[in-house]
Amino acid sequence: MTVDLNKLHAVGAIAEEAEGKWGMVIDMDLCTGCQACVAACAMENNIPYVEEVDAGYGRSMHWIRTERFWEGEYPEVKMSAYQPMLCQQCGKAPCEPVCPAFATVHSQAEQINLQVYNRCVGTRYCANNCPYQVRSFNWRDYQDSRVRPEITILANQFNPDVTVRRRGVMEKCTFCIQRIHKAQDKAKSEGREVEDGEFTTACAQACPANAITFGRIDHPESLVAQLARSPRAAHHLEELGTLPRVTYLKEG
Amino acid sequence: MADHKPHTSHEEHLREQHLMLDPMPRGKMNEMVMESMHTTSWKFWLVFGLLSALVAYALFYKWGVMILEGLGVAGVNRPSYWGIFLVNTVFWIGISHAGTFISAILRVFKAEFRRPFTRAAELMTTFGLIQAGFSIFMHMGRVWLSYWLMPIPNERQLWPNFHSPLSWDLLAITTYLLSSTMYLFLPLIPDLAMARDRTPDGTWQKVFYRVLALGFRGTEGEWTHLRNALNIFAFAIIPVMFSVHTIVSWDFAMATRPGWNSTIFGPYFVIGALHSGMGAVVMVLAVVRGTMKNMKYFIRPEHFEAIGKLMLIISMSWAYFFFNDYIVQWYGGDKWTKELLHWHEAGPMGWMWFGMLICNVAIPWAILWNKKWRSTPWLIFIVGLLINVGMWFERYIIVPISLTINRMPFTWRLYQPGIEVWLGIGTLAFFILLYMAASRLIPLIPVWEVQEGQMAHSLRKYGRETVVTVSELE
Amino acid sequence: MAEEKALLAVFSDIDPAADAIEQLRILGVHDDCMNVISGIPVTEAMLGRPSQWTNVPRLALGGAIAGFLVGLFLAFITPNMYTIMVGGQPFTPVPPAVIVLFEMTMLGMLISTFVGVFLDSLFPNYRPMHYVPEISDGKIAILIECPPPDAQKITDVLKKLGAESVKEAEAQHL
Repeated sequence: MTVDLNKLHAVGAIAEEAEGKWGMVIDMDLCTGCQACVAACAMENNIPYVEEVDAGYGRSMHWIRTERFWEGEYPEVKMSAYQPMLCQQCGKAPCEPVCPAFATVHSQAEQINLQVYNRCVGTRYCANNCPYQVRSFNWRDYQDSRVRPEITILANQFNPDVTVRRRGVMEKCTFCIQRIHKAQDKAKSEGREVEDGEFTTACAQACPANAITFGRIDHPESLVAQLARSPRAAHHLEELGTLPRVTYLKEG
Repeated sequence: MADHKPHTSHEEHLREQHLMLDPMPRGKMNEMVMESMHTTSWKFWLVFGLLSALVAYALFYKWGVMILEGLGVAGVNRPSYWGIFLVNTVFWIGISHAGTFISAILRVFKAEFRRPFTRAAELMTTFGLIQAGFSIFMHMGRVWLSYWLMPIPNERQLWPNFHSPLSWDLLAITTYLLSSTMYLFLPLIPDLAMARDRTPDGTWQKVFYRVLALGFRGTEGEWTHLRNALNIFAFAIIPVMFSVHTIVSWDFAMATRPGWNSTIFGPYFVIGALHSGMGAVVMVLAVVRGTMKNMKYFIRPEHFEAIGKLMLIISMSWAYFFFNDYIVQWYGGDKWTKELLHWHEAGPMGWMWFGMLICNVAIPWAILWNKKWRSTPWLIFIVGLLINVGMWFERYIIVPISLTINRMPFTWRLYQPGIEVWLGIGTLAFFILLYMAASRLIPLIPVWEVQEGQMAHSLRKYGRETVVTVSELE
Repeated sequence: MAEEKALLAVFSDIDPAADAIEQLRILGVHDDCMNVISGIPVTEAMLGRPSQWTNVPRLALGGAIAGFLVGLFLAFITPNMYTIMVGGQPFTPVPPAVIVLFEMTMLGMLISTFVGVFLDSLFPNYRPMHYVPEISDGKIAILIECPPPDAQKITDVLKKLGAESVKEAEAQHL
């Protein structure tokens, strides 16, 4: 007999036992900080291009960013590893319960953290409560060519599988859910399961150093699950109990 | 000293000092209150006009611009997603707490000095909550969809998320706004009837008072129902008031942010709300006393003295809660909290942190201990003003300054206010404008309550001393 | 009782008014046929009148129960209409429900208290009523309903007791 863990409210166990759990491993030793993932993500997900002034003021809209840190004062500067930071798709996400409109919710099928743009009213509580600070808010109508005629030409390269967001809406990394669904639909029509490595997210696809690996972490034999078992594996801010789905491999 | 003077003069002295011992016939008092509403100088209309223009420009025009262009015209950014909007929301809800404190807690404890200014304070509650509502709606990215937060389902039977502190906020603030408005209106009915009886036929004011007085005559039944209701309201609105600011504090305390995740935030915010609220009450009373006709009879130094004592006690309690919050955070030694505390005191906005302590603690303590000083209207007006500045600083430190520091140092960035400064000025102007309009439309002094109080007070001799006796009439 | 006559006696002070009520009772006017109208709340005990009945506390209780039930609906029923998992929390957690229950209970109680005053006092009421504007200047008025033959006798007695005026009450627009 299977026990419905949801009924028991066994949060940790749900996160561990969940079926269909997608996950990611990022090897910080391999990352060169080239920003290819950032560009690919923006192309794939129709992420608005924010002008210089707004971007300089902390309003750049990227679902993934490459954080760089250094120690010491110039010129005696020692760089530490680059740290690509994206939504950690927490099993127990702090952003979810605080939304009054149920605009950010936990997906039971993919075990990721969804953002429902249509339901968002823009209280920005989720972004405040995100310990990883990976949510981006549409401060203006960046995508509306009536407001910004200069982007009319850019509109031709929108990805038709992804919506375009308007002002006042929160958004964030979706683990390229449109690619997950496409692969699942294809596999279903061919009467098989989605194979490991059959598709990957835009950031992982673009990474020239193969630092990003994506796949099912609930399948022990998948590449991502094997990497996640590495002794170099660590989770960001694990002490908060958010149960992140992204594993970082740090210098071993 | 009083006991060296002849008794009559001591009695006179008491009557001069205390409104409750200085009775006035009902008809005369009605006239005074009506006259205070009808005496309007050109200066009133000048200020009224300027404020109306300011409201139209700063509140409605600027807000319209922000709705059309998006929140980019404001200063909010990552990581300070909540800026002055939330500072002002907390500030105005804080102001609104004074009305309930005075008209409910002091009513329950039968503090007689409350009688002449319960309504003046209750008006602050309702008008302050309206400004809080404006501030929180401005803050929303898609305000035209704000009705989605109401407890009504969408077409797929999806209701609001009651896990969210913002949903609790909505319920609590709605409850507080409705109940404080009803609590303002109920004791107003007899005074509206009084105004109706003294307004000549054929004027629009007569229609206004006739409609709002609901046909009140003052029969035994009407008084009994009214008194029962006021009694229920006075007791029930106190926990509602506490819940409102506690839930506002939970918007912060429930979050996983360094500096916010504190269990003492509830009572700390409640006492902070009373601190700014009482400061605002003395400011309003000093202005009303100084500018409206006949108000020197109703609002006397004894009232400033009594509120001054409360302000001193509240200031001490605020310091206690502040220190309690501070030392627990400091002692914990969490890396991010330590960073945050250092940022508060030694960061670029450190002057605000010290300004907060000076305005909220040092100045009130230095001035309010002295009976003569705290009875002086202009002086206590300044103290009230500084307390409000200090409490605004406190909220500014808690919201955008604390948001600057999080667990991802890569995103740390200072917050620079944009259009929200205009919008904040707009809410302040609208508050004053509403208050000015109300002061000419509804009797600011609850005449029947003052009359009831004067009926209950008497002087009697105890040995050689003349002492005040208060009886409970209810 | 269409044939009853209504008299309105106006007093300046409370003592003559209290005496008048006592005398009226001796004259055979039942307490139900008297009503006191005053500008400040004069309690029944001060005038020696029977206690007034009020439904306000009962209505408040009823409203509190209704509000509590609405709170139960919001906190425990609505999340089951469209189940959504957030933050690994249960669908219907109890601690947040306590807040919803508290606010809705208080809201229900206070609204019904307010509505109770309207129901019990028959507000709003813009029909013509027996009233004189002097009442809100602090006078105490006694409204008496009596058979027409007794009116003269009652008027004389009240005048002797210090009534400022006793006249046949006319219903007028307030």
